[in-house]
Amino acid sequence: MAEQFDIIAENLTKSYGKFTAVDNISFAVPRGSVVGFLGPNGAGKTTTIRMLTCFMPPTSGTGRVAGHDVFRESMAVRQKIGYLPENTPLYLEMRVAEYLKYRGMLRGMPRGELAKRIGHVAEMCWLADRLRWPIGKLSKGYRQRLGIADALLHNPPVLVLDEPTVGLDPSQIRETRKLIANLAGRHTVLLSTHILSEVELICQRVVIIGRGKILAQGTPEELKSGSRTGDKARLLVDVRGPADQVKSALGALTGVENVTVLHDGPVCSMQLTGRLDGTLREQVAATVLQRGWALREMRSGGMSLEEFFVQIIDPGAAPAA
Amino acid sequence: MSQLLTIARRELGALFYSPVGYIVLTLYLLFVGLLFSLMVMRPGRIADPGPMFLWNHLILIFLVPFMTMAIFSEEYRSGRIETLRTSPVSEAAIVLGKFLGAMGFYVGVIGSSVVFVILLSFFGRPDYMPVLTSYLGLLLMGGLMVSIGLFFSACTQHQVLAAMSSCVVLVTLGILFQFIPAFLSPFIRHSSSWLLSVKHAMSYLAIEPHMAGFSRGIIDSQNIVFFLSGTLLFLFLTYVVLETRKWR
Repeated sequence: MAEQFDIIAENLTKSYGKFTAVDNISFAVPRGSVVGFLGPNGAGKTTTIRMLTCFMPPTSGTGRVAGHDVFRESMAVRQKIGYLPENTPLYLEMRVAEYLKYRGMLRGMPRGELAKRIGHVAEMCWLADRLRWPIGKLSKGYRQRLGIADALLHNPPVLVLDEPTVGLDPSQIRETRKLIANLAGRHTVLLSTHILSEVELICQRVVIIGRGKILAQGTPEELKSGSRTGDKARLLVDVRGPADQVKSALGALTGVENVTVLHDGPVCSMQLTGRLDGTLREQVAATVLQRGWALREMRSGGMSLEEFFVQIIDPGAAPAA
Repeated sequence: MSQLLTIARRELGALFYSPVGYIVLTLYLLFVGLLFSLMVMRPGRIADPGPMFLWNHLILIFLVPFMTMAIFSEEYRSGRIETLRTSPVSEAAIVLGKFLGAMGFYVGVIGSSVVFVILLSFFGRPDYMPVLTSYLGLLLMGGLMVSIGLFFSACTQHQVLAAMSSCVVLVTLGILFQFIPAFLSPFIRHSSSWLLSVKHAMSYLAIEPHMAGFSRGIIDSQNIVFFLSGTLLFLFLTYVVLETRKWR
């Protein structure tokens, strides 16, 4: 069991005085998978990551990375982890190749292997043409790539990337995501982000965190379908006809619990909630046509991951239609 | 050990890359040049570079804080401390590596004054042993100054604050403790006065008396112990600050 997971957080807690930044968090990252660590800014993502990368010790609870305890076997963990901190801090006065060499020597890599790995990660992260550049002259995108190259330099089994796509332009974001997706299988990746599409695109599992607590975890599909069964399903219907009459006609159908008028006008939009299985959609269509109205559009209002995310991190906010 | 040297080399490199390093070097040469022309290179004087070394600490107490201010502060501010602290390197290696790097630059700075010794050798035949002991003294004194600078840099992410704090401490040791005891003397009426102990403590902690021996060619173990123990104390304190920072 234990060797199937490369990152295990067990009841991790970090308190600063009375403020609890991370509250009793438990999750596991299976070997070779990319797991998204999702949450709004200030949810405790970075604090959790800092505990797992041995930057700060947890107030209570334990973390294990690649089979080692982050507190008691900190050096072993640091050997096996590649970490890209938030905002990619670098030594701006150094040159790219020089920086990678410095980082490799800091990790105690033998010179011959280091030279080979520098060439390899530069190729992987599209840095080969910038090796002689001073880091201060690099664009944000290149700096980000250098940060990832540094994390990959010693070929660590575990990678922890804290918001690797922040501040990149759209094409750089796409490239970076492709790079991360390619790492799956060979590396175990914990990817922190507050961008949902990123998680849907490249992560096999998602851990959602908010206000220091885990709110949900599972595959993106599980989370989406879970939200649909756990919550009332919705059907959105656009009809050309008088709104009040449409509302009462549709409300009378079996299985419909509530009808909300979203938009009133020559064409009105209705939101139906309830048990929307079986033949309800056919019944809706038939009813509308019988009354002589025109059916413009009908779609299932199943939740996107984004709506699910907004809903669980902020239960007070009404779900967007 | 190799990691320690890697850190030292980067730190040394950073000082050579930054304008601060060159400003420090320029000001030092300017000041020592002034000492040399006013106190050593005078007609009729014997060829003794001693005074030039004796007063070196007066400029170094202002220059060393600028050399050391960024060492930890800049790592905290930029967030690079995270990549450093999550690398498989011990805190002790980080502190010693950074100390060694800054000392490397310090040696370069005081080493530059050798041009004045060479200049003097054209005109006279100075005794070279006191020159060597002076450099030994400057090296030991540098250890103390750099470790004090390192400690204050580890305390804050603001470089200016780090520089000012270490300046205050170094001015206290280098200037105030040298002159205050003389002003205390009129108030000391009997030999059991507590002021007497204060006076002795200040005199002991002052830098100049410990440098005086070295500049005259005397290697006194008491002075070596003073500088070395001070250096170790502040290196240890730096280590403690670094260790405790992660618990906050």
